[in-house]
Order: sequence, then structure tokens, then C-alpha cells
Amino acid sequence: MLRVYVIAFLAFLYAPIVLLPLFAFNDSTVIAFPLSGVTTKWFAELWTNKELHKALGNSLFVAGISSVLAVVLGLAAARANVRYRFPGKAAALGLIMLPLVLPEIIVATSLLVVAVRFFGWNLSLWTVIAAHVLICTPFAIAILNASFQSLDPSMEEASIDLGETRLSTFRLVTLPLVMPGIVAALLISFTISLDEFIIAFFLTGSDPTLPVYIWSLLRFPRLIPVVMALGTILVIISILMLTFAEWNRRRGLARAGVKDTGGFL
Amino acid sequence: MTEPLIRLQGIQKYYGDYHALRGVDLDIRAGEFFSLLGPSGCGKTTLLRVIAGFEGVTEGTVMIGGTDMTRLSPNRRPTNMVFQSYAIFPHLTVAQNVGFGLRKRSDLNRQAKDTLVDDALDMVGLDGYGKRAAHALSGGQRQRVALARALVLRPKVLLLDEPLSALDRKMREQMQVELIRLQRQVGITFILVTHDQEEALVMSDRIAVMFEGEIAQLAEAEALYRRPVSRRVAEFIGVMNFLPATVDGDVVDAAGLGKMVVQDLQSTATTAGDPMVGFRPETATLLFPGQQTEGRVAEGRVVEVVYYGDMTYYDVTLDGAEKPVRISMRNVFGRPVLDIGTQARLAWSPGAITLFR
Repeated sequence: MLRVYVIAFLAFLYAPIVLLPLFAFNDSTVIAFPLSGVTTKWFAELWTNKELHKALGNSLFVAGISSVLAVVLGLAAARANVRYRFPGKAAALGLIMLPLVLPEIIVATSLLVVAVRFFGWNLSLWTVIAAHVLICTPFAIAILNASFQSLDPSMEEASIDLGETRLSTFRLVTLPLVMPGIVAALLISFTISLDEFIIAFFLTGSDPTLPVYIWSLLRFPRLIPVVMALGTILVIISILMLTFAEWNRRRGLARAGVKDTGGFL
Repeated sequence: MTEPLIRLQGIQKYYGDYHALRGVDLDIRAGEFFSLLGPSGCGKTTLLRVIAGFEGVTEGTVMIGGTDMTRLSPNRRPTNMVFQSYAIFPHLTVAQNVGFGLRKRSDLNRQAKDTLVDDALDMVGLDGYGKRAAHALSGGQRQRVALARALVLRPKVLLLDEPLSALDRKMREQMQVELIRLQRQVGITFILVTHDQEEALVMSDRIAVMFEGEIAQLAEAEALYRRPVSRRVAEFIGVMNFLPATVDGDVVDAAGLGKMVVQDLQSTATTAGDPMVGFRPETATLLFPGQQTEGRVAEGRVVEVVYYGDMTYYDVTLDGAEKPVRISMRNVFGRPVLDIGTQARLAWSPGAITLFR
């Protein structure tokens, strides 16, 4: 009974994603069964669409910068969380982690109000980046917390004891030992930012990110198979990146000879 | 006497409201093997970390080599530490680990550094291990790498934080002997933190016993064992038998043993409770049938026999005493072990007795 339930659950979760490549290779503009033949022309069309390339460029720009910023902030927060005790720590950390569970539509609306009303900013890719840093940082902290928890504090002390400064210790000991966590956090933040739609939809100005651009394509039925093709590529890239992130994190732990104390996947 | 290598004066340390070190004064001589011994939470590790510079002090001064180093960070002190977890850098090779502290030494060229690293590995019995990955080493090997990594810098003081507690019994005994040999060879002052009284007795020139952030007694191993200053120290170091006693002037009357004169006793010490006399299990002997002695004799009954092969432990309840005392006897070939229930005579001497009052 449990087995049937699990299979049904997984099918419900992943069947729609399987449909994506199915129709991406289907030789018809109508998304319906029966399939009418195999084609790669939708993929070919991706190559020639200038607007799509622009949107992809925007997305990579946003994802690149927001993932780096999120990981830098995450590093500082995770180290402080694991190494130090200070008043208000739990509250501060709780607030940082909150966007993890907050509905994105609320984050998006409130950020829009803050950006436009209070600061009077023009909406641009930078407003999207600011918002994506906000939602990626909790993920980065969750991953980096695990990295710092499995890092023996004596490692840093040993380095200082042997004559290094705090700064050179961070570079020579801390950074190499939490590097797998950093790589994992970067990849996951990058993927989240790349896939994120609602916030980007609210906060982009005239430059759409890829998900926003895909949304605009859906108004033209003729282009839906192209979206399917694009979706197929994005799914594959996302899966590859998340797999690599987790593999890399576990390899790092195994190399450091410590027990796996968490992580995200 | 010459200036001590390390002089701690009036060290006080608070963690919030918790008073971790309560006024520690301590001189440690150059070249000695010194141990800080005490139960967990007594402040011994905190004191070691104060000497290393990892913990600041609330009050007091830390002098090393005649210089005030109270406010100096660990990387600028002539001390090096072997951590309880060894803290071997897993992303480096064995040689890179050992050479880690030499990175900053601009007066040495690469070749000279390599030679120092090889010599250090040789010294701890790991010659040829330099190219190995550090994360693939066993516990005992990590410990040796940690020792080599600290000793290669020729510090004035080597600090060892419970370095043997993670090893199994056999390996621990082997490393004890090796540490003593190493300390004699390099002549560097070793300060060892341990909760294992046997380890401290075996290895150290002098031992400081700590309870609740204070040094309870500072003495050489034998003095510590034979003349503890308080009942608490006596109970912490080895086994001691206690018998209730009454003191009237110079005369002590102990249950089961009878009267003795204070001047004849080995030492006197303090106790928080009622007066007691105490003696170590090996300082009294059970007399076998027909055996004679010129010393004093007490009568009792054997209530427990524990056979250890080379030794036998007898628990004997003396006539007039409630609790049994433990007597350890070396077994002699051809002589039978006494049975439980045997009425026995105990030969003892006031010269082995400590009065606690």
C-alpha cells in the first residue's frame, strides 16, 4: 500500500516535467496527444531568437551577482552563528531565514512598494538582484551552517598557534575546508535565482529575466513548443547543477573525514 | 634559583558569572615536564589556553621567558599546542602540515625548511610519511604529526591538551613513554593537561592538582602520592583507605588500628569532614599464618579477594572498624592466596599514615 502511495506521489510530482521534453520534440504547435512526429526545429528556433538571448543574458547576470552576494553574506552569518554567542542571535537568524517560508508574492509586493515608494528607485535588474539576494541568503546559510559545524574550531586555532594571522588563517585553513559548502551554496543560489519568477516579474523594468520572458511567450500559442524546448534545457541544467553541488559537498566532507551533519539535499 | 620560564600571577578568569580560574599563581621551570591534573571542569584546560593565548584573563599576568605576554595573541607567543583533536589540516599532506608554521620563516630557504620537516618527522617515527594525505592517517599517526608540527618550530613551551585521551590503552602507554623520551631529547618545557592521575604520575616532573579553578597542591609525583595536602587530593590520586579517628593532643586513636602519636605519622592534611587517618593499599601487609613482624599489628577479617595475576587485592574489615580497607599484595610463587572469611593479621606502620583533620 505504502509502495503504491510512493509511486503515485512521485508520478504526480514528476510526470509534468516528463511531458516537457516530450512536447519539445513533437512536430506540432498544438500541445496535445497523439504526438505527430519528431522534430528539433523548436530547439533550432531558440538559437535565432534575439529577445530570448537577451533575457537569458539578463538571467545569468542576475543569478551570477545575487548568488555571489548571497554566499558572501551567508559565509559571515554562518560563521557568526556557529562560532559566537551573542544576545539576540536566535532572533536575528530567525529573521534572516524567514524568506525561506514567506510566500514569494508577499516578498515581491512589499519589495516593490519599498523600492518604488520609499526609495524611489527605477525598477531594473539591480532591484531583482537585491530581492534575489534576500531569498537566496537563507539557502546559502543553511548549507554553510553545516560546513562550519563540521569544521573543528581547533583547526583555526592551530593555524593561529603556528604563527598565522586571523586573515591568513581564513585563507589557508577555513576557506579550503568550507569550500565544498561554498560551491554548493553558490550553485543552489544560482539555480534558485535563475528559476525564480514571481519576484522577478514584479521587480523587472524593461529587461525581463528568462522566466519572465517565457511567461510573455505564453500569449502566443505558436511559440509554446519553443517554451517547451527551453524548459527542457533549463530542467536539465538545474538537475545537473544541484547534483554537482551535493556531490561536491559530500566529497568535501568525506575528504575532511567528518560525519555528514546536514546540508540541503 | 633562576627565573622561571613561565610565571602566572593572580590569574582570574570569568565567563560571564562563572568563575573559571580563582587566583592561580604558578611558576614553571625551563625544561621540566609539568602536568595540570584535575577532574573535568576544574579549569586546567582554561589555564593551558591562557598560557597559549587563546583565552584572555580577567585579572593577572602571564610572563613567559621574563616578558609580560598577557595581552599577546597566540601567533606571537613562543608556545605551541597539541590539540585534543590534533587539528591536523585534512586538505594538506603530512609534510605540508608539519611545515605549516615554517611558512612565515623568511630566514630559511626551501631546502632548509624541507630538512627541518624531515627531521621532525624522523623524530616522531614518521620518516617517509611526508607525501601522504593527512586525512588518511590513523589516530596515533595524527598525534605524531601534531607533535612534529609543533616541535619543528622549537617553541620554548609545548602545550599538550589531553593528547592521549583518544587513544586505546596500549597505544596510550606506548605514547606516554615516547613523550617522555621526546621531552628529554628536545629539552623543551612540556605542559600536559590530563584528568588521568596515573598518566600524570608516570610522565611528570611536577604536578599541579586543580579543583574548581584553584591549584589544590603542587608537588613532585612521589610527594603528591605520599603526602597529599587534603582529603580531596588524596582521593583523587590513587586509592587511599580512610578510617575514622579521634585526636586528643598528640595522640590519635583510629578505629581498627589503635593509638598512635602524631609525630610518628608520615604527614598531616586537611579535611572538610570529621578527622580520619589514611594509608595507601601497598603500605600495609597481610601476615600469613606463622609469619612474624616487629611492627604493629591489627586484627581483621578478609571480606573480598580480587586476583590480578601478579597482585591480589584484599578487602579487610578491621576489628573495631565498619568499612573494609583495601590491601594490595604482590603474589609470591608457592604461597596460596588467602580465602574470603579468613581471620587475618595486618602489619602496618605509623610512618605510612596521613592524618586528615
